[in-house]
Amino acid sequence: MLSYEEQIAFILLVVICGAIASIGFGRIFKIINRGSTADRSDNLVGRFVKALIDVGLQRTIFKARPLASTFHAMIFFGFSFYILVNVNDVLEAYVEGWTTIGGGPLASAFNLFSDIFSVFVLVGMIFFLIRRFIGKPKVFEFNKNVLLNPSVASGGVKRDSLIVGIFILIHVSSRWLGTAFHLAENGHGDPFLPTASIMAGFFSGMEPASLDFGIHLTWWLAMGLIVIFLPYFPYSKHIHLMIAPVNLALGRRTPNGLMDAITDANKPGAEKFTDLPWPQIIDSYACIMCTRCHEVCPAHNSGTPLSPSALEINKRYLINQKGKEIAAGTCPDNLLDSVISEDAVWSCTTCMACVEVCPVGNEPMADILQLRRKMVFDARMPDELADVLRNLDEQGNSFGESARKRTKWTKGLDVEIKDPTKEPVKYLWFVGDFASFNQNCQDTTRKVAKVLSAAGVDFGIVAKGEKSAGNDVRRAGEEGLFEALAEDNIAMLEGCEFEEIITTDPHTFNALKNEYPSKGGNYKVQHYSTFLLDLINSGQIEIKKKVNAKVTYHDPCYLGRYNGIFDAPRELMKACGVELLEMPRNKSNSFCCGAGGGRVWMKDHDDMTQRPSENRIEEAMGLGDIKYFTVACPKDMTMYADAVKTSGNEGKIEVMDIIDYVLEAMDLQEPVDDTPVEQAAE
Amino acid sequence: MKIVVPLKQVPDLVEDLDIDDNGISLDYEYLKMKLNEFDDHALEEAILLKESDGAEVVAIAIDGDDVDKMLFTALAKGADKAVKITGADPYVDNHALAKVMADAISGMGADLVFTGVQSAGDRDGQLGPIMAVHLGAPSVSVVTSVKVAGGAVTIEKEYSGGMMAEFDVDTPAVLGIQAARQTPRYAPVSKVRQIQQSASIDEVAAGASDGAASSSITKMAHPEKGGGAKMSSDIDEIVAILKEKGVA
Repeated sequence: MLSYEEQIAFILLVVICGAIASIGFGRIFKIINRGSTADRSDNLVGRFVKALIDVGLQRTIFKARPLASTFHAMIFFGFSFYILVNVNDVLEAYVEGWTTIGGGPLASAFNLFSDIFSVFVLVGMIFFLIRRFIGKPKVFEFNKNVLLNPSVASGGVKRDSLIVGIFILIHVSSRWLGTAFHLAENGHGDPFLPTASIMAGFFSGMEPASLDFGIHLTWWLAMGLIVIFLPYFPYSKHIHLMIAPVNLALGRRTPNGLMDAITDANKPGAEKFTDLPWPQIIDSYACIMCTRCHEVCPAHNSGTPLSPSALEINKRYLINQKGKEIAAGTCPDNLLDSVISEDAVWSCTTCMACVEVCPVGNEPMADILQLRRKMVFDARMPDELADVLRNLDEQGNSFGESARKRTKWTKGLDVEIKDPTKEPVKYLWFVGDFASFNQNCQDTTRKVAKVLSAAGVDFGIVAKGEKSAGNDVRRAGEEGLFEALAEDNIAMLEGCEFEEIITTDPHTFNALKNEYPSKGGNYKVQHYSTFLLDLINSGQIEIKKKVNAKVTYHDPCYLGRYNGIFDAPRELMKACGVELLEMPRNKSNSFCCGAGGGRVWMKDHDDMTQRPSENRIEEAMGLGDIKYFTVACPKDMTMYADAVKTSGNEGKIEVMDIIDYVLEAMDLQEPVDDTPVEQAAE
Repeated sequence: MKIVVPLKQVPDLVEDLDIDDNGISLDYEYLKMKLNEFDDHALEEAILLKESDGAEVVAIAIDGDDVDKMLFTALAKGADKAVKITGADPYVDNHALAKVMADAISGMGADLVFTGVQSAGDRDGQLGPIMAVHLGAPSVSVVTSVKVAGGAVTIEKEYSGGMMAEFDVDTPAVLGIQAARQTPRYAPVSKVRQIQQSASIDEVAAGASDGAASSSITKMAHPEKGGGAKMSSDIDEIVAILKEKGVA
C-alpha cells in the first residue's frame, strides 16, 4: 500500500495528466468529426463484435510477416491482460492489505497469467526494438523521392518507436520486479509466479527497508509512468492500440470494387485534409507505421515516389503539427503539398494490395482516389492521361480508334456471332477495350469466341454500341466521364435482349458488377473463368485431352483481391490438365502488373527502377522449370508479353491466357504450341 | 479586354472520310465532327490571357451536331460566354464561313479575335484574314505568343525557317493562333456536365452569307495511292537507283 502522501500525489498526477490527455483525446474526436461524410452506422453491434473477435484472434495482423506477428501477439495478449493488472495495482496501492499473492484459485490464476504475460511483453518488445534498431530492415525505409513530413524525414517514427518501446519495457519490467520484491519480502516464492519467484531469489538478502523502497519505486515506475504517458498518447503512433479496433469496426462494408459516390458535385474529391471522408482520417490514428502497405505496393517496389505508408504517416504528422487548426477547420495545408506528391498520386495502380494487407483496416488507396478526383476536376493531370480521357469521351474507347473498329478482331473468324441489339441472346459478351483493340489481345479474344461457339453457347456482342465500361476512368479520377460512359452503356444494354453478361476483362467485370448498379444498371455478370468452369463441370465443354505443361498463374487485381475470384481460374486450368505451381505472392497477395487505375495510359515515372510486370516475371522465373505464365485479363496479356521481352526472358517463358488451355483441351484447332519454347521463340 | 474565339468543327479523322454521292463534298451525314485542334489552341491562349491579365472570353460557333457540347466544354475550360449562330450551314466554304462569323462578331465589341491559324478544311489559313477584312481589322497569322499590357497588344509571329518577329497590334485585331503557350487543357466531363446544368448558350441568327467571294468545287476524290517510299542508307544502292532512273 502506498503512503498517504504517495496516494495524494498519485491522485494529483492522474488529475493533471488526465486533464492534459483529455484535451488531446477530445481533439482527436474533433479532427475526425471534421472529415467529410461517410455512412458506417449500419449494424454497429455486429461491426464491433467482429472487430473485437478479429483483434482478439490477431486475425488481420497474421496476413503477413508471421514472425513479427507472433511477437506482436505476445505483446497484445500481455498488454490486454495488463489492464487487469493495472486495476489490481491501484487497489493494492489504496486498499489496506490487498494482495493477490498467496490468494485463492482466482488470484493464483491471475498471478500466473500476469507472470507469464509480463515475460511475453518483455520478450516481444525486445524483439521489436532489436529488429528496428539493430536489424534495421530495409522495408522501413522510403524511396528517396517520396515526400516526407520533415519530422518523419528526421527520424520521427524511430523516435516514437523508441519512446513507446522504452515505456513498455519500464512499465512491464517494473511491475514484474515489484512482484519479485513482494515475494522477497514474504520470504518465499510462489508457484503461480514462477519467473518473479526466480527474480525474488536475488533480492532475498536485502533489508526490509530496501525491499519496501523497491516495492514503492517499481510501483511508481509502473503506474506513475503509465499516467505520465497518457498525454503523449494522442501524439504517438501507439494510440493504434485504441483506434485500430475502432477503425476495423467502422471499416468499409460495401464492395471493394464500388467507389464512394461524390457528395458535392461542385467540389468532388479531396484537396484539404478535412475533405477526406472521416473514416480515412481515423486511418491516420490507426496506423502503427509498420510499412506493410508499401512492402506490397507495386509503385513503391518499382522505385516511384509513392509509398502508401508515407501517406498515412504524413497524415498523422500533419495532425500532430496542425491538430488545432484542423480541429477548428482552418488548416490551410493542401494534401498535395503536405502528405503526398503529385507524381505519387499518379503512380498508384489501384491494385488494392495496401488495403488488403493493412492489419488495422486502413485504406491509403482511397485517399489517392479522392485526390485524383479533385485533381482531374481541376484539369491537373499528366498530358497522356488527358489525351486518353479525350479519346474515351470522343470515341468511347481508350485507343482513340473509331467505334466501328471495335469488332475488327472478328474479321476472318469462322464463328457466327449474334448481335443482341437485333436478336435475343442468352449471354451478352461485353468484350471491353483491351480485348477488342489491343493487338496483343485480339488473338486471345478470337480464341474465346471459338471456344464459346464450339461449346454451343448462345452469345452475342454489341459491336460499336459498346463503350469502355469506365472502371479505370473512374479510378483515374474522371467521375463525370465514368458517369457518361456508364449511362451510354446502360442505355445500350437496355436495347439488348439477354440473360447474363460475360466478359474476359476483370476491370470491365468489376465495373459492371459493382459500379453499374449504383447507376441503375443491374445485371448478372460473370467473368469467363467462372463461366467456362461451369461449362466444363456441366459437361458442355468436353475435355478431350490434357494440356501437359508446368505453369503458374497470376491473379488479376480486379478479379482476385477486388472480387474474391481465386479458385475458378485455378480449377479451370487444372481441369485442362496443366500442372499449376504457385508464385510466392499469390491470391490475395498477388502482385499487380502495373496497368490498373489508368496507369496503362500513362508514361512510366522517370525514377522507375523496374516495372512491376518485370518484377512479377522474375518471380515466376524463380519457380524454376515453368513453361507458361498464365493470365486471365487482357491487360495482363499485353503487360506480361512485353515484360517477358524487356526482362530478357524471351524464349524462356511464354504468356498464356486461360483460354489457350481450354482451346487445347477441347482439341480445337490452333493447339498450344507443343514445340520446346526455345525453338518457338525463334 | 474582350477576346472572341470562333470555334470550328472539322471531321474527326479516326473515321474514314466518305465522299457524298454528289461527288463534290464529303458525306457529312455519317461523319463525326470535332473541334479544330488549332481553335483549341486559340481558346487556350485566350483563357491563359484571361487568367494572367484578365479578359472576357467569348466562344462562338455555328450551330451543328455536337456544337452545344463543344461550347459547354469551352465554358468548362474557362470561357465566360458561349454564342451559337443559328440558321447557317456549318459546312460552307471558308469565305462564306468568314462572312457569317464576322457578321456575328462585329457587334460584340471584341478587342481581339483569336482563331486557329488553320484547320483540316483550311490548310491555307484563310479564315482569319478574310474575317479581318470583313471586320475592317488588322490580321496577323501564325501567332505563337500574345502579350497584353495596359491595352497594348504585342504578339510574336513565326516565319518559316524558325524566324520570329514581334508586332504591336492595333485593336480590334484578328490573330491566327499557331499554338498556345501550353497544351490545351482537358475539360473534365464532370465540370462540363455541371456547366450544362448551370450555364446557357446565347443564340444569334446568322446574317446572309452572300457578298462573300466564293469558289465552286468541281470534283472531290480520295487521293490516289502512291507506290510508297523505300528507305535506304546504302550509298551504292542509292547511286544505282539514281542511275537507273536517269537522274545521275
